[in-house]
Amino acid sequence: MLTKDDLTRYERQILYTDFGEKGQKRLKQSHVVVAGLGGLGCSASLYLTCAGIGHVTLIDCDRVELSNLNRQILHYEEDIGEGKPFSAAQKLAKLNSSIEVTPVFKKITERNAGGMIKGANLVIDGMDNFKTRFILNKACVAEGIPFIHGGVHGLFGEVTTILPGKTPCLACIFPEVPHRKASFPVFGVTPALIAILQVTEAIKLLAGFGSLLTGKMLYFNGDTMDFTFRNLAKNQNCKVCGTKEVQK
Amino acid sequence: MSIKVRLHPILKSLAGGQEVVEVTGHTTGECLENLESRFPVIKQQIRDKRGQLRRYCEILVNSESTYPKELTATVKDGDQIDIVIFVGGG
Repeated sequence: MLTKDDLTRYERQILYTDFGEKGQKRLKQSHVVVAGLGGLGCSASLYLTCAGIGHVTLIDCDRVELSNLNRQILHYEEDIGEGKPFSAAQKLAKLNSSIEVTPVFKKITERNAGGMIKGANLVIDGMDNFKTRFILNKACVAEGIPFIHGGVHGLFGEVTTILPGKTPCLACIFPEVPHRKASFPVFGVTPALIAILQVTEAIKLLAGFGSLLTGKMLYFNGDTMDFTFRNLAKNQNCKVCGTKEVQK
Repeated sequence: MSIKVRLHPILKSLAGGQEVVEVTGHTTGECLENLESRFPVIKQQIRDKRGQLRRYCEILVNSESTYPKELTATVKDGDQIDIVIFVGGG
C-alpha cells in the first residue's frame, strides 16, 4: 500500500506509463541485496534508495579508506576507518527514511553466500574482485535469485542481467574464475554510470516492464564513448547452471 | 576461408580502431595467431608469457563458449569469434 507521502515522493516515476502506482508498489515490496559498497555499490544503493525499494541490504567487509573517495560517493572523509555498510546505511537512511536499510559488515564466502542473499528479490553485483563475484553468481543460481552483474576498469564497464535457469550465468562465459592483480585503475564516473544501468535493470525487473540485458553483455567505453553489445549463449556444460545438478 | 574476429572493446584501439578483423584459420588458435601476427600488441593483452590465454580472456564462437578448447576449437567459413575480457573492478 502506498502512503500519501509515497505518492508525492515518487510522483515523477509513477507518471511513467508502464510503471505507475503498480510498479511503485512492487518496488516497495522488494528486497534488494547490494553486494559490495565500493564504486558500484555506493551509486547503486543510492539510486535503489531514491527509487523506493522497500528493503535494501548492504554487504561489505571493508572499512573506508582515503583512496576510496574518488568513486565511493556514500563515504565521506569523516567516515575513514568506518565499516562501509554502516557508512553507506547512515547516508541512505537520511535520504529515504521510509525504506529499510540493513548493513551487514561481513565477508561473503562460499559457505555463507546462500544464507546472506536468501529471500531477496535480486542481487546487485558491486564486488571488486573475481572470486567473490563468482561465489555470488553460484549462490544466485542455486537460490534462483536474479543477479545483475556490473564490472569496471578505468573508463570501461560492462553490465548483464542473469536470470537463473533462463540466461547464461558468469560461469557460462568464464568457466574458470579469472584472476588479475587486485589494484585496478578507475575513475569515479565509470562505476557511477554502470551502477545506474544496473539499477535501471533492477527497477524494470522488479516492476515488470521493459526489456532486460539478458543473454547479452552491454559494454561501455568512456574513452571513445561507445556502447556495444555481445550476445552470450548458455553453456549446457556450465559447472554452475548447466544441465548437471546445481551444487549448493 | 574467412572468419570474423570481433574484438572486445578494450582491444579495439590496439587494432587501429577496428572492431571486426577478418582472419583465416581452421581453429580458433590459428585464427588468433593470424590476428596477432597483424596486431602483435593484442597478443600481449590476451596471452601470458607462456603463450596461454590469460584467465580473464575467453573465446566464443558464434556467441558460445569454447571452454576448454579455447585455442583448438574448429571453425568454419562464416563463423564469428569473439574475444571476451572479463572486467572485474567495482
